[in-house]
Amino acid sequence: MTHKIHILLVDDEASLREPLADYLVKQGYKVQQASDASVARSLLNAYDFDIILLDIMMPGEDGLSFCRHVTDKTEIPVIFISARTEETERIIGLELGADDYVTKPFSPRELVARIKVVLRRAEKGAPRQVGTSEGGYRFSGWTLKCDKRSLVDADGDTISLSTGEYQMLLALVSRAGKVLNRDQLLDITQGREAHAFDRAVDNQISRLRRKIEADPKNPEIIKTVWGGGYVLAGEVLSL
Amino acid sequence: MKRLWPRSLVGQLLLLVALMLLLAQAINSFLLYRGAQTQNLVEASTGAVARIAFGLERQASDRPARRAGSMRARRWGQLKYSAESAVTDDMQRLPELESRAGQAFANMGTGFSEIRASFNRDLDPAMAGHLIGANRGEWRKGPINRSMGGRLEPRAIRGYVIISARQADGQWVSIASTVRGRSPLMVRTLLLQTVMIYLLMLIPLFLLGRYVSRPLKSLTATALDFRPGETPALPEQGPPDTRDLIRAFNAMGARVSTMISEKDVMLGAIGHDLRTPLAALRVRVENVEDATERERMIAGIEDIDHMLDDILSLARLGRSQDQAEPVDIRSLIETVVDEFTDLGHIVRYQRGDKQRALVRETLVRRALRNLVGNATLYGKAADISVENSGDRLMIHIDDSGPGIPEATIESMFEPFLRGEASRNRATGGSGLGLTLARAIARDHGGDIILKNRAGGGLRATLVLPAG
Repeated sequence: MTHKIHILLVDDEASLREPLADYLVKQGYKVQQASDASVARSLLNAYDFDIILLDIMMPGEDGLSFCRHVTDKTEIPVIFISARTEETERIIGLELGADDYVTKPFSPRELVARIKVVLRRAEKGAPRQVGTSEGGYRFSGWTLKCDKRSLVDADGDTISLSTGEYQMLLALVSRAGKVLNRDQLLDITQGREAHAFDRAVDNQISRLRRKIEADPKNPEIIKTVWGGGYVLAGEVLSL
Repeated sequence: MKRLWPRSLVGQLLLLVALMLLLAQAINSFLLYRGAQTQNLVEASTGAVARIAFGLERQASDRPARRAGSMRARRWGQLKYSAESAVTDDMQRLPELESRAGQAFANMGTGFSEIRASFNRDLDPAMAGHLIGANRGEWRKGPINRSMGGRLEPRAIRGYVIISARQADGQWVSIASTVRGRSPLMVRTLLLQTVMIYLLMLIPLFLLGRYVSRPLKSLTATALDFRPGETPALPEQGPPDTRDLIRAFNAMGARVSTMISEKDVMLGAIGHDLRTPLAALRVRVENVEDATERERMIAGIEDIDHMLDDILSLARLGRSQDQAEPVDIRSLIETVVDEFTDLGHIVRYQRGDKQRALVRETLVRRALRNLVGNATLYGKAADISVENSGDRLMIHIDDSGPGIPEATIESMFEPFLRGEASRNRATGGSGLGLTLARAIARDHGGDIILKNRAGGGLRATLVLPAG
């Protein structure tokens, strides 16, 4: 008998929790349900979980606080499930060490896909945080601000980035000088907030270059490495 | 003329009061002048009456020898005795003086059968030598001026009064008397008075006006920039009426803020609370065996989700904590364009020179997304271009669709109203897209303008403040 992935599902809404648990069981997972944080805490002591799906808005102790408890005490990855879509809350959730974030209503298939990505990453022993610096990074005249998830040019003007572009740039900048192949880049960038459309890495890179390179045809910042991969050239300053 | 009429309350009030004061002062001066004239006339005739009464008294006391030639009589003026009245018929008669003189004579116990009085600018030659007081054209020191430094004051003579009375024997006794002209002192007094009144009236009035109008001005400014929940209450100042107005305005502002925040909280709660059952539905849908049916249900749920998203965004708008930042608008357009090209839509944009807009990036991205979405939905393809007009940045989104009938263009911005009713179901969308986009643009001090293009198709223009 193969090991079944054990999921802790924490949500106060039985109307969502129960069908979701059913769905996950059908997909071959073992699921424990908790209707609030205190139940979840006792379940956490009783079982070994592989992953936790956590609602943010709950009566009593909320999801954010419980998440802090989990990431402090254990290595179990956490995916937030929340009805809130405000950007700030999304960032807070991820800063607390959650591995991903889905908003209601979500596609159960997408949720399962994300669970797989998060688990794969955890298995590889990749650090939970993508090594993000508190303030951000400065490179080749650009400033990548992690707190606001924004890119600012030398004149102080904000450059609009899609979520994918931001993730890609963050992956490259935080590993400056290291060559990353397409698989690695996909792995790093996809798990978090994967989009409905998986854009090819090359496409993403060329869009980024258009926005930040003086001459996108002869890139100076994001360089292509022969043999399939990209690297961020130049000096990077952690803020 | 219109430019001279001040627009402010204080200005109008001051001008009006100044004009009325001027008018009142003019009437006042006229009356004073008239009064002084009558006064002079009465003075002159009083002298004449006294002279006649005195002369007749002396005559009666049997001193006829001194009737003529005495020094006093000469200075006082000789009474003229004649068969005909010295006041001839061609002279201007003064009935009021005649009755006054009659009264005076009666008081002195002298009775006359007829009294005539007249005023003439020039002395009748027949009356020369029968004139009381100064000769014509004489200048003399006014008693007041003498005491104030002895400056010579020209005492113009305005004319002459002749009083003529018929005695019981049918003979007329007549005397002339000089009438003084107006004193320049009077003009000066009047001028000084006018200036004093102006200062006394207009300065306090000006201060009062400012006291009244300043709070009104700040009230107007506050009402114009009123932002529910942000505009602080105005301090109650000014006179009681204005204070009442400000208090009422503050109360109204508070009510509006409360209503709007209640609305936002309610919309937020609706949006939030609907998402959980919607999520449950979305999970259960996976159990539906029929793939087509399942996809349709999923599409329906996604529609509701987008609608909730728009409603929530609309509710949250204007209370965003984010500050507007200078954004390189090219990158923002590209981010949106990429979203649509990834979905297989044709959206063209040629990166040009850097254009900076002062915006909240996520919101404007959303507004632009809605506009481009409409263009690709109704017009198949979209062309985006940027135009800079100094302090405004205009992002044009041109499509090649059928456009919108001119009459209904403005109504496109109304919530839950879509261009073609028949296509509602097929095209989806919340019906809030344009409403939300315009609300976002206006929140930034910009706007959205829809215009049918000459060559066909619609041009939607997102106007933003340039950075």
